[in-house]
Amino acid sequence: MSYAEFLAGEPVIVTAALTGGVHGKETTPHLPETPEEIGKAAAEAEAAGAAVVHVHARQPNGERTFATERFQEIDDAIRRRAEDVIIQHSTGGTGAPDAARHLPLRTDPAPEMASLDMGPLNRYDHLTSENTRGLVDSLHAEMVERGVKPELELFNDGHLNEALGLLDRRDLADPVYGTLIFGPGTLTPPTPRNFLTAIDNLPAGAQFNTLGFGRHQLPFATMGLLFGGHVRVGLEDNVYYRQGELATSNAQLVERVVRIADELGRPVATPSQAREILGL
Amino acid sequence: MSCPFLDYRLEANERQFDEPRAYCEAAARFVQPMRADICNDRYDLAHDSDCEIYLEHAGAADENEGKNEREPKNGTGNRSGDGDENRAGSGEDA
Repeated sequence: MSYAEFLAGEPVIVTAALTGGVHGKETTPHLPETPEEIGKAAAEAEAAGAAVVHVHARQPNGERTFATERFQEIDDAIRRRAEDVIIQHSTGGTGAPDAARHLPLRTDPAPEMASLDMGPLNRYDHLTSENTRGLVDSLHAEMVERGVKPELELFNDGHLNEALGLLDRRDLADPVYGTLIFGPGTLTPPTPRNFLTAIDNLPAGAQFNTLGFGRHQLPFATMGLLFGGHVRVGLEDNVYYRQGELATSNAQLVERVVRIADELGRPVATPSQAREILGL
Repeated sequence: MSCPFLDYRLEANERQFDEPRAYCEAAARFVQPMRADICNDRYDLAHDSDCEIYLEHAGAADENEGKNEREPKNGTGNRSGDGDENRAGSGEDA
């Protein structure tokens, strides 16, 4: 994907990362945590232009859970309000046992998509989410078995090598779909040069999604739009609308990036169009 | 065993919640849900090796133990003023 796809006016897939698993309502009261809140947020995001919703599961007090049953409650709550949006489950989980990382794949029906973290990531001062190749392969195997499209989470340039390694080891359905992630810590440093380099290093034929954390969300989404990529926004990755002003909803962040896409001449993909683009 | 600095509160620092949430007495604030897993020694996590806030405050707590006996509570801690904790989208596990 490149500037040529932008000029060609290819549709952009907007993903809304609704809740996450790191921060919660202690950071912003607008972040949905319960299945009902997530279901409502998904419907609002879809109405605003999101074709995909990326979800994590939480206990009633906001803390993480990887339980299939909780993901099922979330999916059911989403489907009561949004029949068509593509549901993408997170399989991420710093500190969680490998067995727990598989549980989000086991809802009925399985999610159409799920994240697949491509390598290690540091967190706080003493934690690393290891994401070994063994875990990546076992998660991918279950995704294939259950018909789930993997969204490769590329936290840094080294993970682009890991994606190429995964392609050597396993047969991934076309198109390969990866999210380029920019921000602090282990993430790729958020500079336009690094963004362009990452695009150059994507596997041949891959579709890319663009994720900037915090204040980098909007500029990197805009770069993604300009270079023919797809974009991810939402309160999981950024809780502010602008400096010092909390975003009031996931839909508000979706509306903004849809507005920019429209100004730039990128049509926003419907869920059906997104399924076609991603080969779901 | 969970962190001695952990408490579950409905209200603190002018914040109120419907469900009791993890609060770090060392940091004097509510903690991120992922941090709460460390506080609770949940999954493969342990507060006495994985939490920098506990490690920073545990020594001081030990020193004060004789003078001001503290009843350990269930829970963990967080560093006060930890900018990373409240930074929008500093997260991961995307």
